[in-house]
Amino acid sequence: MWDAYLVASTVEDALGKLAQLGDSGRLIAGGTDLVLQAQRGECPARAVVDLTRIPGLSEIREQDGYVVIGAAATHAEIAASPLVRTWAPLLAQACASIGGPQIRNVGTLAGNVVNALPAADGAVALFALNAQVEIATLSGQAWVPIAELYRGVGECTLDPCAEMVTAIRFHSLDAYAGCAFQRLARRRVLALPIVNAAVVVRVDEGTVSDARIAVGPVAPTPFRAAAAERVLIGSAPTAALVAQAAKLAARDAQPRSSLLRGTATYRTAMVEVLVRRALTTSLDLNG
Amino acid sequence: MTSAVGRPVQRSDIAAKVTGQSCFPQDYSSKDQLYAKVVWAAHPRARVLHIDASRASGVPGVMRVLTAADVPVNEYGIMTFDQPVLVPVGGETHWTGDRVALVVAETEAAASRARDLIDVEYEVLQPIIDPAAAKGAPDLVHADRDSNVIQHLFVHRGETEAALAQADLVVEATYHTQCVEHAYLQPEACLGYIDDEGRVALVVATQWPHDDIRQLAHILDVGERQLRIIVPAVGGAFGGREDMSLQPLVALAVHLLRRPVKMVWTREESIRGHGKRHPFSIRLKTGCTSDGRLLAIEAECVSDAGAYESTSVVVLSDALSFIGGPYHYPSCKVDGYTVYTNNAPGMAMRGFGAAQAAVAYELQMDRMARALRIDPVEFRLRNILTDHAVRLTGNRMPEGTGARECLVAAAQAAGWSECEGHWLAPEITQPALAERRRGLGVACTYKNVGYSFGFDDKSTARVCLHLEPSGQIARATVYLAAVEVGQGVTTALAQIAADALSLPVERVKVAEVDTATSPDAGSCSASRHTYMSGNAVYLACQKALRERVQALRGETGEQTIEASYTYRGKSRRPTTDWDPVTGECSPHFSYGYGAQVALIDVDTETGEIELLKVWSANNAGKVINPATVYGQSAGGLAMGLGYALMEEVVHEAGQLRTRRLSEYYVPTALDMPREFVDIQIEVPDPSGPFGATGIGEIPLLSTAPAVLNALADATGTYLDTLPATPERVWHALSPGRHAL
Amino acid sequence: MAQLSFVLNGCPVCASIEPGDLLADVLRDQLGMIGVKVGCGEGECGACTVLIDGKAVLSCIYPAPKVAGCAVTTIEGLGTSDQLDVIQQAFVECCASQCGYCTPGIVLAAKALLDANPQPTREQIMVGISGNLCRCTGYYQIVDAIALAAERLTGGEP
Repeated sequence: MWDAYLVASTVEDALGKLAQLGDSGRLIAGGTDLVLQAQRGECPARAVVDLTRIPGLSEIREQDGYVVIGAAATHAEIAASPLVRTWAPLLAQACASIGGPQIRNVGTLAGNVVNALPAADGAVALFALNAQVEIATLSGQAWVPIAELYRGVGECTLDPCAEMVTAIRFHSLDAYAGCAFQRLARRRVLALPIVNAAVVVRVDEGTVSDARIAVGPVAPTPFRAAAAERVLIGSAPTAALVAQAAKLAARDAQPRSSLLRGTATYRTAMVEVLVRRALTTSLDLNG
Repeated sequence: MTSAVGRPVQRSDIAAKVTGQSCFPQDYSSKDQLYAKVVWAAHPRARVLHIDASRASGVPGVMRVLTAADVPVNEYGIMTFDQPVLVPVGGETHWTGDRVALVVAETEAAASRARDLIDVEYEVLQPIIDPAAAKGAPDLVHADRDSNVIQHLFVHRGETEAALAQADLVVEATYHTQCVEHAYLQPEACLGYIDDEGRVALVVATQWPHDDIRQLAHILDVGERQLRIIVPAVGGAFGGREDMSLQPLVALAVHLLRRPVKMVWTREESIRGHGKRHPFSIRLKTGCTSDGRLLAIEAECVSDAGAYESTSVVVLSDALSFIGGPYHYPSCKVDGYTVYTNNAPGMAMRGFGAAQAAVAYELQMDRMARALRIDPVEFRLRNILTDHAVRLTGNRMPEGTGARECLVAAAQAAGWSECEGHWLAPEITQPALAERRRGLGVACTYKNVGYSFGFDDKSTARVCLHLEPSGQIARATVYLAAVEVGQGVTTALAQIAADALSLPVERVKVAEVDTATSPDAGSCSASRHTYMSGNAVYLACQKALRERVQALRGETGEQTIEASYTYRGKSRRPTTDWDPVTGECSPHFSYGYGAQVALIDVDTETGEIELLKVWSANNAGKVINPATVYGQSAGGLAMGLGYALMEEVVHEAGQLRTRRLSEYYVPTALDMPREFVDIQIEVPDPSGPFGATGIGEIPLLSTAPAVLNALADATGTYLDTLPATPERVWHALSPGRHAL
Repeated sequence: MAQLSFVLNGCPVCASIEPGDLLADVLRDQLGMIGVKVGCGEGECGACTVLIDGKAVLSCIYPAPKVAGCAVTTIEGLGTSDQLDVIQQAFVECCASQCGYCTPGIVLAAKALLDANPQPTREQIMVGISGNLCRCTGYYQIVDAIALAAERLTGGEP
């Protein structure tokens, strides 16, 4: 484990402490991933900097049509947040499906994102929300599209010794939008997903004006089914169209076979099923 | 005074458990204790060429690095001494749970650090991983044996081939059951020390402390009196603490270093270091008449015994004994083989061969009923065993055969109706969504209570009556090493003693298990303690009462009366071992019975099975405590659900791929069916205390077959491989897709 | 070595810890709270559940330094054999414990649930304990116990 445990009082303080630690420091939020990685020798940190005591960092608020979620907000807080449940219910659902109650009390959505695994339920929902992530450095902060944080499986593009996620934001879903989150796992709770799917659609005067379909883990990073999205946009939503889109999503997904979670054949077939169901729900096509 | 037996008396241990005051082995510490860590075999099959402990020995605080050379007699095992305490240089590892060295240090941190610095050089060999292939193969897991087949058992009775040839219906199928992990919540731990009498004493969770001592005495080459085992609270067992796990290591360290030694395994070490439920392949071929009378059964069973024999032969024996189910077959030709491999050793696990057999025979019964278009309950009832009926092994069932009562109770509760001997399943409404199919499945099972095949199963209890000056019994203390693993035996025995002595149950205490003072009650296995130890306690109480009367008549002024009784299972009903020519025998002296009905929904697009409702009727002969018996029924359902749907230990080339609880799925509260109906049947066994038999394993046996039969009812497809994961179900429902 | 100050079961305590220490080990080994059970060490079974400022967390993967200044509740902070708290009493009456190893963690998870949601549905109770594995009971008696405790705490059934 680590030799020093530091607690940051502000974002600047966190970044300053990291800078002093050179390449041996890492940020820690809830630690639900980091502690396990350290125990297994997969975390090079000799010192950690805790960001959960920074005032305001776990806030969830609305600002200029965005829902803004602080980096220290836990899955439980997000799942229970009236703002999130109203303006992005699929994210509340996704966060409510992670781990179990104790994990959700401690684990953060930002930590989920920075861990950069393609199956992360919260991240998959954020991809469907076209979320942006605020990155802070000692020289300032900037919002970047969430996809830019992902280089590969478990590989975040962030410099863990100099950059810090401070917030995540996405546009609130308005009355023309529908969304859904689907998840398939080997038991009801405390299980990584075999496949998950997050969908956000927008219908204007009988035509799909926007469609975002995110699926995991079917690629090294959370995967947007772009071809499926394109076939939907500009058309009237029907069961046949949804079926076609779902097939395209399955065609483009490239899941790996996992000894414990499922073969590529099955996972690909399940992409079609989950995307179809998520689209059907979000387009309100159930009879 | 109201009797205690039959009432939901409060568990004697529950107040301590809900306050966290119950101490499990890892909760014990001694001031000057040392800490021990295991160096595990890196390969499932490898020759150990060299062990270099020089770097480890240099770590400050390290006391010793023990290897095979330090073990007085480097062999043990519950049936056969085929297991080393530590694999010697020049010897071969047989599974990754083998131990190569033991580090003992002043601190846990030093022991861990030193353990990582031990270099073991191996010559890696090709592991033997498939029991079917290993069966006839010349490459031997144990070079000193003739074959990888540990034992071939069989029962050949009547003219099976001819009967099958003449049967109106013959059904043949092959079933595969998986390797299962006990996953008790308490990982293995042990505190060992030299006690005031100079004995090597161990505080450890074990199912049979006296048998551990038998083996430890052999290992250390000391008399059994020089050993002592104290069993505190045990965090679940389910058969997984029947074989020794870390006892030999801690005993060795204490014996050599003469200081207290503590060892606590991580969950990964627990999963790695103890045996598992035997996977079985079972080919069944059964024949019956067109009006549903069973004629003959042919079976071939192969079990994966893994690295060491453990109780593999007895598990195979039970699997074969029960392979026909609770039904009468006029003839049978059943054969079974248990085969060494380099996978984890198969050992005892709740059900002990009868669980695996149940999957095969209940799906087989269902297939036959379906083919004949006979109601599944009716088909079973036409053939079900009753008192004095002839079972598979050619002997007659005893009085108290409660299979019919369980099946009828479960079926009626689930909505079956009966009219003039004909049974009709209830109509079930299909769900609105087209892709969801609903189905109802039934299974009826049974298993022995107590040790079998001629084994001299015994339990000894000592009762101490503490008298008032008036001669009235103030209170009683019962001594016996009947281990409480959570099942409620301590409370049940107190209830039995209370009624035997006409005392309120609050004034009866069952003493802590300590081999220094508790007589050998036999193993906490085979659902035997209520029956065996219950009888021993009851009869010891009666003996004590007689001696009290004598003492009072003689006006001896004694304030305590003690009496012991050893109950022998074979005393009422002798049992015999397999006949060498036919295999026929009278193997068991008592039985438990159960039946379940499962209502499921299947998502035919994903393969997910949702268990909606279960009715579970189990015969315990006499329900000593309805609350704890309910607990066994619900707990058995949970374990059965896991067995059916989500539990699987995965080996790849002899290496465990399911090493943690994040990889091995045990049911959570949300996985349980939302509706559960527990039916407690009391068809008494006259040879049991108050008519009681056993309940521990029974409620597990029917779940998986009931769920799989429900799957067939819902979809028309039988899945013959466990667990029925969503992917397996999905493949089974889609002919033409690449089979797994 | 650093000094860790927090409130344990209502009393201020101070422990000497290494920066990498995990809460479960500090509670068990240094502060004598052996009611905190370690079942897996990887946050997968819930046996080690304790409450931190009223929230259920897994102490086996919780860095000890994080509890500085917080209020930590272990099973020892609820009741004793002579004076069980309402939830513990309900567990006893419903026979909601068998081997007992999961019990402290599950009682605390129940407490966190009922403190946040005093009148949960059965489904909500099951969600509340869904992070706690029990290999013995099949969960029904535990759910019954929590439902009974909820009734009593809200002034229902005596």
